[in-house]
Amino acid sequence: MSKIDFTVNGARHVVEADDDTPLLWLIRDNLGLTGTKFGCGVGVCGACTVLENGKAVRACQVPASAASSRSFVTIEGLSPDVSHPCQRAWLEEEVAQCGYCQAGMIMTACGLLQQHPDPSDELIDNVMSDSVCRCGTYPRMRKAIRRAANEMRTKNP
Amino acid sequence: MITSRRRFLKTAALSGASLVIGFDGRGLLQATNASSAGSFKPNGWVCINSDGTVILTIGKCEMGQGVRTSLAMILAEELEAEWTRIKLLQAKPSADSDLGTGGSDSMASSWKPLRQAGAAAREMLITAAATRWKVDRGSCKALHGAIEHSGSGRRLDYGSLVAEAAKVQLPENPPLKNARDFKIIGRRTARIDGPDIVSGKARFGIDIKIPGMLYASLERPPFSGAKVKNLQEDKARAVSDVRSVIKLPRGIAVLANSTWAAIKGRAALAVEWSEPPKDAFDSDAHLKKLETASRETGFVTRKEEPPPGTSAITRTIDATYHYPFYAHAPVETMNCVADVRENRCTIWAPTQAPERLQKQVAQLLGIAPADVDVNITLIGGGFGRRLGVDYAVEAADISRAAKAPIQLLWSRADDMKQGHFQAASVHYLSAGFDVQGVPLAWKHTKAGSFHNISPLDPKEVRDAAWYQDWSWGCYDVPYAFPAIQTAYVAVDLPVKHGPWRSVFAPSSVFARECFIDEVAQARDVDPLAFRLEMLKGADVIKAGSTTVDRRRLRRVLETVRDKSAWNAASISQGHGRGVACNAYAGRTYIAYVVDVSIDHENNVHVERVVAAVDCGLVVNPVGVEQQMEGGIIWGLSSALKGEITFDGGKAQQSSFADFAVAHMRDTPAIEVHIIDSDAPQPFGMGEPPVPPIVPAIANAIFSASGTRIRRLPFRPEQLKEGAA
Repeated sequence: MSKIDFTVNGARHVVEADDDTPLLWLIRDNLGLTGTKFGCGVGVCGACTVLENGKAVRACQVPASAASSRSFVTIEGLSPDVSHPCQRAWLEEEVAQCGYCQAGMIMTACGLLQQHPDPSDELIDNVMSDSVCRCGTYPRMRKAIRRAANEMRTKNP
Repeated sequence: MITSRRRFLKTAALSGASLVIGFDGRGLLQATNASSAGSFKPNGWVCINSDGTVILTIGKCEMGQGVRTSLAMILAEELEAEWTRIKLLQAKPSADSDLGTGGSDSMASSWKPLRQAGAAAREMLITAAATRWKVDRGSCKALHGAIEHSGSGRRLDYGSLVAEAAKVQLPENPPLKNARDFKIIGRRTARIDGPDIVSGKARFGIDIKIPGMLYASLERPPFSGAKVKNLQEDKARAVSDVRSVIKLPRGIAVLANSTWAAIKGRAALAVEWSEPPKDAFDSDAHLKKLETASRETGFVTRKEEPPPGTSAITRTIDATYHYPFYAHAPVETMNCVADVRENRCTIWAPTQAPERLQKQVAQLLGIAPADVDVNITLIGGGFGRRLGVDYAVEAADISRAAKAPIQLLWSRADDMKQGHFQAASVHYLSAGFDVQGVPLAWKHTKAGSFHNISPLDPKEVRDAAWYQDWSWGCYDVPYAFPAIQTAYVAVDLPVKHGPWRSVFAPSSVFARECFIDEVAQARDVDPLAFRLEMLKGADVIKAGSTTVDRRRLRRVLETVRDKSAWNAASISQGHGRGVACNAYAGRTYIAYVVDVSIDHENNVHVERVVAAVDCGLVVNPVGVEQQMEGGIIWGLSSALKGEITFDGGKAQQSSFADFAVAHMRDTPAIEVHIIDSDAPQPFGMGEPPVPPIVPAIANAIFSASGTRIRRLPFRPEQLKEGAA
């Protein structure tokens, strides 16, 4: 057991955990932030995606030992009132079905748009295609990402 | 199937401050009073509080099909409620309830009772207002959550009337609104739980945490009859935060203070299982067995003899279609929170079958079902997998042994390997023609397996209707062949298998809709025009318990023909177009035209899907579109991506890496045309989009390559071999 000192959604946390504990379980079990989901534990589904410095990170692939002194944003930290452009675009385009993978998808999309404010359709497909949605919300996600990109560029030209 | 249950409406003035109307599956319209409120456990109920909020207790499970929104829309319509004042609660199962959610039945079965409940409440509120104002109730009407008096313009909110309304006699046959006056039904409506989903607040089974809860991971026998040869119990106990290791007949449970410690402790057990016997289940051998069986006569599920004077068959074509095993693979793996105490148990589970869960847990614990309190959470993908309740029974067993509340979470590999798979099947089809090439006979034999996730009743009469239920899409062939014979051959299957999205239909519809293309090819005619030709004759046909309305099927076919410019399009090299259609249980009618391209490595890309759907009266067009898109993508996965194979009794796949599913880059452009249906009620949408997309893709591959795809999932080698 080690002391893991890390920041989530702007709040600093110190937790006791084994070094190999994935960040996913620190977020879910230790901090009680359940918006970040478990889907596979082996980095192939994207349900646990969070942001670090604007980049999408798979929380199931970050061991606690590597999480120390880093800062992450989860779906709960995206906005206090569902006002982030990606969240709004998701609602506008009626993306969600069961909703389980959607937090990971939104965080992946946020990461994409931070790195590439004006992504091509091909880039959207490539970046999002590492994540799994079994309900098949992909067509609406595509539209939502384009909508969010447009809105973010209009705001911060 | 459509059930003609009579509903049962009840009112209960719970505290004098609410108007409550309930409905369940039995009996007559009936009013009760506050004294019976304690036993008031209907499938769903409407509660209007004195503050004007309307609480709808939803009697179906939400797994992405949007049922919480669409059911609320139906109620709000009749009740004339303010949409924004509706709050949802989830019903709990009881001895009389029927909250099970599957078979795309929620809309069809809830439509009338919900409307009646909403209408009854509205009429009672009108009576209450008219009585208070001492006016004729004909001069009062309900609008936007209030009763208005047309003469004086007076207005009373529902909340201020509930105490009096609760005392009004429940109307036996409240008048229902005319469809042309609908304001909410048919309107594009945002999902009620949308904001919770995009903010991470939505609570699925995995998100439930209760005080004192331990986290459990269960190591199960990898095949039926496997024995533990060796395990490192001490090493598991040595993992920090592991609390205990419990050996149960169903497996070895590791309990811990955190999910990770449970996972790590289970890995530390390093269980060595006995070797599978030589004759352990093997899917290749099983498919061969099915193929042999498909040549048997089997149980004839439908037989139509040609009319006298029909000319003789001089030519026959035949083909064999192979359909593999698939996993459901919802992104939320199986999980359950169970808290077993002396003589009672509380469960939180993402389940599609709350009553089955309640009964099976009660049976395990030797207590009454009423002592199992089941809380239904949001479901992170159902697709039929959560009609099985194995994970809840496991959780209850572990909680009982641990004497503590526990959360059981399946790993992704558990979920892939211990699934209730879509069973493999083999279909043998043949068609006969006369000397002029006129198609005269259709024969389709399905060799498959009965579901085994719950035991079949040995006393049940195994008649034609019973076998038809196992062969949707086979016996209900809509085409007008003078002679038709369909049959079912059952082959034992020792691995767990159960309903999947579209239950039994996908394999049969794949075979049927591909083979009808082969018949068209034999005739050298256009496959879409040929289907329309074969849907002439009687507009409505009966096939067993199913009624197929050929007019509705023709209409969806004509729509995709016109919207895709089927007749005008010229197809370039390496591209192809295919068509398929289906009447799902005689209720929802769908046709697709699919465009594919084939690259230099023989990979198939689905470029575009033009879809037409007639699902009866449309409650929420957004929901219909979502289900169409989702069903198309689900089917695309099964046509082109992963399958489950077995060796040594074990499923070989363990994650999305080896059981591939469609990703965003695989997603075609999808165009959905919703037919303005003349059906007076809504039908389900969760399953119907799946079956016909697979054959439409296979037929498009044929159009592009000249190779018939008779074995799923498609593999590029099939094109190199030039045959399926």
